[in-house]
Amino acid sequence: MSTAPSILLVGLGGAGCGMVSRIATNLPPVIRVALVDTDASVLNTTAGQEVFQIGRPLTRGMGTAGEVAVGQTAVEADEPTLRRLFNGYSLVVLVTGLGGGMGSGGAAPLANIALDAGATVLSFATIPFSHEGERRKRQAAEALEKLAIKSHGLVVVENDLLALQVAADASLSAAFSAADEWIAGSLRALASVFTPGALVPVDPAALKTILEKPGSPTLFSYGVGQGSGAALVAAKAACDSSLAHGPGAITKVGSLFVQVTGGLNMSATDAFEAVSIIRKKFGGEKTTLLGACVNPEMGDRVEVAVLGASLPVPKPATKTKKGAKGADANQGMFVFATEESIRRGIFGNTPLTFRDGEDIDVPTYIRRSVRLTPVS
Amino acid sequence: MNKKSLPSFITVIDIGTQKTTALTAQVIEGRARMLGFSERRTDGVVKGTVIDVEKLHASVHEVINDLERVSQRAVEQIYLSIAGPSVEGERVKGICIVPAHDGRVTKLDYQQAIDSAKRLEPPAGRITLLHMRQPSILDNKPVGNPVGQQGRRLEVSFWRITMEEGNVRFRVSMANGMSITVRDFILASHAAACAVTTDSEKQGGVCVIDIGAGTTDWVLYFKGHILCSGSIAVGGEHITNDLSIALRISRETAEDLKLRFASALHRDQDVNQTIWKDGDKSVGDQQFNRGTITQVSSLRYQEILSFVRKDIIAQLEQIFSGHEVKLDQNFLPSGIILTGGSANLADAAEATQNVFGVTARIGTPKFDNPSLQKPEYAGVVGMMIAALEDAPPVVRRQKGFMDILRDLFRF
Repeated sequence: MSTAPSILLVGLGGAGCGMVSRIATNLPPVIRVALVDTDASVLNTTAGQEVFQIGRPLTRGMGTAGEVAVGQTAVEADEPTLRRLFNGYSLVVLVTGLGGGMGSGGAAPLANIALDAGATVLSFATIPFSHEGERRKRQAAEALEKLAIKSHGLVVVENDLLALQVAADASLSAAFSAADEWIAGSLRALASVFTPGALVPVDPAALKTILEKPGSPTLFSYGVGQGSGAALVAAKAACDSSLAHGPGAITKVGSLFVQVTGGLNMSATDAFEAVSIIRKKFGGEKTTLLGACVNPEMGDRVEVAVLGASLPVPKPATKTKKGAKGADANQGMFVFATEESIRRGIFGNTPLTFRDGEDIDVPTYIRRSVRLTPVS
Repeated sequence: MNKKSLPSFITVIDIGTQKTTALTAQVIEGRARMLGFSERRTDGVVKGTVIDVEKLHASVHEVINDLERVSQRAVEQIYLSIAGPSVEGERVKGICIVPAHDGRVTKLDYQQAIDSAKRLEPPAGRITLLHMRQPSILDNKPVGNPVGQQGRRLEVSFWRITMEEGNVRFRVSMANGMSITVRDFILASHAAACAVTTDSEKQGGVCVIDIGAGTTDWVLYFKGHILCSGSIAVGGEHITNDLSIALRISRETAEDLKLRFASALHRDQDVNQTIWKDGDKSVGDQQFNRGTITQVSSLRYQEILSFVRKDIIAQLEQIFSGHEVKLDQNFLPSGIILTGGSANLADAAEATQNVFGVTARIGTPKFDNPSLQKPEYAGVVGMMIAALEDAPPVVRRQKGFMDILRDLFRF
């Protein structure tokens, strides 16, 4: 069965390339992987993947040194090459770490090229830890806004929130690898949908029915369960995942896509029960797509991934219109779960209060990465 | 009874992030008799900064209307509180080399030093609102009143309070728009201190921290004078916000849970103690772990206090540059007094003791009216006290024999 790849997984920038190359080894053949960066040393360390080194005259093979402008110019300069890369894919998954130069500067232009090529763009973006400083946070926040209007779906992964999931005394490297692991797990779950052997296979094009327009608020959640009743545990974990919460995050969506991946002995009732829990929590009145997949390697583990887009915005969006004009017209109606609204709550639209390089409107427990006692 | 004692009236208004309070009193014999009090929710202010001028204007207007109704008196002149991050304090100094041969300081020398200190221009875009006296220094020794003492070099210093020009203009024009004149500004933290401390406490050394909804204002007294003051744009609303994010609940629910269950200390017995939102187990009732609530609230509360501590130490280092000064019980014999709405948080005093290492207590204002004897009203009550002290009654009169007698029996 020699189906041409229909999904393109792109890692952009150091963080993006790192995450993508780590999961690239066990992906189904329908997914093609590409890494895009200016830094030759990053691209060289990733074994066996297709790499695109951009902006060579600009950086001479070095990184962007955190400069947003450099990242942006690098993508724009190599637009023809990248355009060819995106040709013929119905789904482009863009993974990047915002905050640095390549991710913050290049993500929005890159997504725009993919949009122009007619693909559905699903972006995963990580927001830097609070400890990484004010500048990176600001760059990330600005980039996020730009990326949001260029992607059909945008999944924001808060490193700070992820850090809360690891043990309080975990090392820094453990915190970082937890962030990576989380994205990797989500992507693997998403990828497994398109594996030809899936119980309930989903056509990549069907995702379009969920992610209809660029800029619709996106919900993404992911949970893992193990042992007896694993599917239910996973579904509950997905419901309670900190990614799907935080004030400002959308909690009810119109279209829902639920993917359940489990071992050989996952029962049908379990899978359907899991889906009904998810539906009860997140809605999905308009469409609910169910994907199920059996992977013998999973053993008694079950993974549940949820992807959803909110009810269509009342005004018809000017779809994939080029240039800034269309983007501006849409800007007012987005209700994104941006970094700001998740972490700052009621202070979301007030001036930042910085102290010792920290935004002190963000809850103390998040900034200190204190693990809270779970709700009993 | 006394025709000569013409009454004067004082109205004070304290605009906070969460509520605006106003108090009118009649001044009789140097004592204030409360005529009316009104309180309303403030709109348009976040973290002590005005974000919606119209909303604020409307809520202040309502407060004044209420006040006029209950006190049966039109408000003409007010004292306004100033607080929040746009208020800054700094030390200004004036020096006079005593010219007299015998080295005695004359009134003129003293005045000259004061003038040279007050003459210093504030930074661009800021207006000087207050000069708070600090002890004068004569030949490196602090003195109370230098006039008549012997020395060579007289140094007079003030704690100068400045505010952004636009902010001051806005406040004055808001009052003027209601046909009210602003008589003076009062530093909110100083006001709170006036309500909860005694002169002897100020003499020994005391620090008052007023933790409001949006800002935390502090002031430190040393040898009876303000040594330094400051403000941080963090307050009780941040605790509410943290809870609403941590527990994924609405702001209103978070506020309610904060008042009922939050604490400034996280204790082991709170962990795994389950509490109910409503308690009647009706539909929609939720249960929470009390440990989570106290964990979130204590982290934030202690952080606010540690910010204040850091700021105080930084100020002290600047003022006593070269000298070793420790923020301990010797320096602050009367410790720390907490006021403001967030002083009501459970275990607040104990948490403060832990953070600062000095004694701490909750300050309740000394006032006749029992309903105002709560830490959150220290600001408005203190403003009244400060207004009484700072500005003598408008109508002054000669002291007669009876007055002297009355003075003797006054307590």
